[in-house]
Amino acid sequence: MGKGKRAPSGDNEGTHLQDRSSSDLMEILVQNISDYAIVLLDLEGRVISWNPAAERLKGYTADEILGQSFTAFYTAEDIESGKPHRELKMTADEGRFEDEAWRVKKDGTRFWANVVFTPLRDKAGRLRGYGKVTRDLTERRLAEERIRKQAQEILEMSTVPVVQVWEGVVLVPLIGTLDSARTQQLMERLLQRVTETGSPVAVIDITGVPAIDTQTAQHLIETIRAVRLVGADVVLTGVRPSIAQTLVHLNIDLANVITRSSLSAGLLMALEVLGLSVVPKTA
Amino acid sequence: MPSNITVVKVRGVLMVTMPADPDDSTIGELQDKALESMEQHGASALVLDITAVDTVDSFFARTISETAQMVGLMGGRTVVAGMQPAVAITATQLGLTFRLVETALSVDRALDIVSEKGERGRAP
Repeated sequence: MGKGKRAPSGDNEGTHLQDRSSSDLMEILVQNISDYAIVLLDLEGRVISWNPAAERLKGYTADEILGQSFTAFYTAEDIESGKPHRELKMTADEGRFEDEAWRVKKDGTRFWANVVFTPLRDKAGRLRGYGKVTRDLTERRLAEERIRKQAQEILEMSTVPVVQVWEGVVLVPLIGTLDSARTQQLMERLLQRVTETGSPVAVIDITGVPAIDTQTAQHLIETIRAVRLVGADVVLTGVRPSIAQTLVHLNIDLANVITRSSLSAGLLMALEVLGLSVVPKTA
Repeated sequence: MPSNITVVKVRGVLMVTMPADPDDSTIGELQDKALESMEQHGASALVLDITAVDTVDSFFARTISETAQMVGLMGGRTVVAGMQPAVAITATQLGLTFRLVETALSVDRALDIVSEKGERGRAP
């Protein structure tokens, strides 16, 4: 490949690709590739070749960067710790070096890059320089971050929904077990809803809780205590025989909690607490 | 010394509004003033409005519990109204207890509880 940026000569216009020399074809590829910054470095790490994708990614034109050290692309912390030349050494020793890390553009902004170094040797096996291919992964990293956050939000919402089922009654249908993180979410969302809506009764339904271990039971008690502190009553529903047994065996104190085996019985109880009852319509 | 605590009598009930971020002396003053007023008015209940309070510690919880006990000995109920969610969570996680104290979502409901409107009192 030639030094610097050199577009394939114009007088080959109209010639089919397959008629070009293989070195011309490689040149065409390097010049046209859009996602990969392809750069050649000499033994000291100075830039001796630069493609259009490199200019787009890092911001330097060929004139600006040729002859400069490749450390220009690294962060200040990396330069201080000697990372750039360490990577060249590893390339020479291992025959290849790949890394994902922050790099710096000409204007100082950072981007997340996948970088692959290749040692370039002549026919005699002597090291003559390095090839460096860089890919910008910032978009992908941001997208991954976004997806991860959305997934977490969805998970949070679907596993700890707080529903207002009646004026003054909120319902939390719990699914699964309660670890510390979920309990935190549960407490925050439930208390927020209770105080926002001024609901004097919170129904916590544990039909969807398969087994109640000590941790879940303690977290449940904590949650109930917090709800009572803000001034609301708790009706615990969906207490199945196996759960009733476990709670008694664990010696869990549910003295101030109204409990019912079914959600419907619990809702009736909630209405009673509010001084309401369900009656048939008169004909 | 400027006072942070004012006790007001509303419909036979004593009411105190706690300022945001009360220091220890203010909390101590609460106990003194509450008991003084109980003696003076012979009220049936003390309503403590903590809507503005955004942090509580063990001293706060202990003093409130003690005050409730003392007010109880003088013949009154104590209702704590308007605890913020974050405060309730912290209190629970720190294992703070508020003994002999009933709780209410708001001062309005607290007054309902202690009056003859008969909403059942709620012990935490």
